[in-house]
Amino acid sequence: MDGLMDIGLLVYTLCAITSLACAVLLLRAYRRARQRLLLWSGLCFCGLALNNVLLVVDTRFAPASDLSMVRTLPALVGVSLLLYGFIWDADA
Amino acid sequence: MRDTTGLMLAVAGALAMGYALAALFFTRFWRRTRVALFGWFALAFALLAAQRLALILFEVPPDAFPWSHVVRLAAFLLILTGIALQNRAPRGSR
Repeated sequence: MDGLMDIGLLVYTLCAITSLACAVLLLRAYRRARQRLLLWSGLCFCGLALNNVLLVVDTRFAPASDLSMVRTLPALVGVSLLLYGFIWDADA
Repeated sequence: MRDTTGLMLAVAGALAMGYALAALFFTRFWRRTRVALFGWFALAFALLAAQRLALILFEVPPDAFPWSHVVRLAAFLLILTGIALQNRAPRGSR
């Protein structure tokens, strides 16, 4: 049980690190190329990264409380920003 | 306190739909431009949509192996792979 808990925490942490890396790389690419879709994708991944960081916090530091609603909202805002970019501002 | 299960399901459903729409938009951009990065994004967002749908449809016991989050991790790794390949490609082939 503890082993599975550790593996779960490891997977959640890796999700947080990789999504944060995606956000940083996409926003850096936007600064270089000024392609608007990169900006919207980068902002979307900021939301996804926050979602994953909150999942780690929820699991590791506050296992008794349920933050599922709080941690889902940044992901929803992130993907909404991306869809806004697709519909109103995409230049691909 | 009010039961928020219904609201949670609505938010999760909206998120799954958002990911699926993003996958479709990226597929369209990839077909139009043939830029490989858009293809990687399309695959990754399709995985994220499937993962979110699985979380809605199947109840996962708290002590189970977190397969759905392994799928999520795979989606992020696909994006990182796409970005790395894009950065390595010569300018003309992007």
